[in-house]
Amino acid sequence: MKVKEIMTREVTSLSPELTVQEALGLLAKMEISGLPVIDLNGKLVGMFTEKEALEYILPSYISKVGRFIYEENPKSIKNKFSEMNKMKVSELMRKDVITTLEETTLCEVARIMLTQRSRRLPVLDKTGSVVGIVARSDILAALASEAETAK
Amino acid sequence: MIKKFILLIAVSLGLGLMARRIGLSPHQALAIAIFSASVLGTLFFWDFRLGFVFIGTSILLITRTIDLENVIKFASLEVILFLVGMMVIVGLLKEAGFFAWIVQLILRVRNLTGRKFVIIIAFVSAILSTMTSEVVSIIFMVAAVLEISDYFEVDPVPFIIITIMATNIGSAATVLGNPIGILIASKSGFTFEDFIVKAFPLSMICLAVTVLLLLIWYRKAIKQMDEHIKKLGANEMLVKLISVPPDKELKIALAVFGVTLFFISLHHRLELLWGLEPNTILLTMPLLSSGAVMIWKWRRAREYIEKDVEWWTLLFFMLLFAQAGALKFTGATDVLAGRLSGSANNSVFALTGIVLWISSIGSSLLDNVVLVAAFIPVIQSFHSLSSSLHPLWWALLFGGCFGGNITLVGSTANIVALGILEKEKNIRMTFFRWFGVGITVGIVTTVIVWMALLFMPIYR
Repeated sequence: MKVKEIMTREVTSLSPELTVQEALGLLAKMEISGLPVIDLNGKLVGMFTEKEALEYILPSYISKVGRFIYEENPKSIKNKFSEMNKMKVSELMRKDVITTLEETTLCEVARIMLTQRSRRLPVLDKTGSVVGIVARSDILAALASEAETAK
Repeated sequence: MIKKFILLIAVSLGLGLMARRIGLSPHQALAIAIFSASVLGTLFFWDFRLGFVFIGTSILLITRTIDLENVIKFASLEVILFLVGMMVIVGLLKEAGFFAWIVQLILRVRNLTGRKFVIIIAFVSAILSTMTSEVVSIIFMVAAVLEISDYFEVDPVPFIIITIMATNIGSAATVLGNPIGILIASKSGFTFEDFIVKAFPLSMICLAVTVLLLLIWYRKAIKQMDEHIKKLGANEMLVKLISVPPDKELKIALAVFGVTLFFISLHHRLELLWGLEPNTILLTMPLLSSGAVMIWKWRRAREYIEKDVEWWTLLFFMLLFAQAGALKFTGATDVLAGRLSGSANNSVFALTGIVLWISSIGSSLLDNVVLVAAFIPVIQSFHSLSSSLHPLWWALLFGGCFGGNITLVGSTANIVALGILEKEKNIRMTFFRWFGVGITVGIVTTVIVWMALLFMPIYR
């Protein structure tokens, strides 16, 4: 089975010019964790997820300090949050985006998701424009229905 | 990038050719050229440094400048294994909350004032770096300073600078503070006790002088902090900020660390008592403790080895040591040492000054391990001098650590701390903002060491 058979074709995307506040609002409304960022020319320029936002507001050394438990949120978080809200999506998004192609097989996409720890991958056509998006849930659903029919 | 690359090739080739002209053999010239390429590589292409030393060492082997046996010997596995062991133990301490515990002690200080804050962070930074290595301790100290300056709404920069300088100064005090400490200990024959008796007090004196100097230098910032403390009240909120994780693990980790330190500090006596080769206990103690830690925490053992041990840096060290070894193996450093001691009239007195100032200024620009690796064979080649070489080794240690304070790229601690400052506060340190205070502290501390090495008989 190929990615193009299961991907979502109507891709909701973010504009790089959007503020982070607006983008986070959209994520919350859609109840998902991340969206691709596509510029005016239809080019995929990044991926914006809740992870980038969390990484920004927490102290950058938090992964290096082992168990360093904050009982109360440090003051800096508040400041960083309001700073972040005003930033543009393009400043915070992850720029090296992991993508996949329409013709890629299901197992290969699943492998990429597992090894790269990504939840959803934008699907590109040969020209490099985004034609869909595939999430972990899409793959699971496809595999589930295959297992059903096999019975 | 290409310009730098051309410059690197040109300078190393030039040095090699120059060496040939003044009468060195082709192998000696090649060893010099390749070592200088690695040194310049660390200066211009920090991220490529490992690739550079891999290739450089291979060239040395292919051209028979050095043989495999000596590459392995000079790679100094004993130093590397010591560092691996210590990194695992520090990894455990980190995970068990040791550093959080220390930071929390600072946050709890009662009746905080600006001056008290400076003195506390300076001495805690120095002691912590002396016990656990500067690269690790600086992260926690910076975290503490940022929390406190955030809380009192003051500019963190002066306090970060104080922390960094104290960390660098403290790193000279024991063999644990800085990789060059263990490197020098293993090559010079100094014991841990030698460090405690000779390096520790001198470091602390330099630290005290530095603190005095910085209290004056940053008096405005300290005064401002006093005002903000008055305005915002005591640091009660801060006390609640960080908690220490369940203490059983912390206690065990502290015990492991304490036992390790205890045996390390007595290594020389124990080696004499048990008739072991010099440094056997010093080098095996971290391995014994980290081995025990890896059995105790066997599920996490792999993580300690893969994440807490800086393999990238350690591999670089090994091959760099091998390249510096090629300088000795080919006799290039004997020639250099001969010229140096000739120009100093064979007096250890004069050479001490030369080694101290070259290593101090050199390590303000280069990674101090690179510099010390280059100097070790040179100092070893001074053996023909009649008097003791001890002052030269101490000069190398102090120069290599204190020189790190002169510029903002002088030591790994500087780079780590300023990196965090930039990420957290969007404050980019400029070269000259650092340099003014850096050169003052650098010169004052180096002069103190210089005088001590020259006039105090204990260092001879």
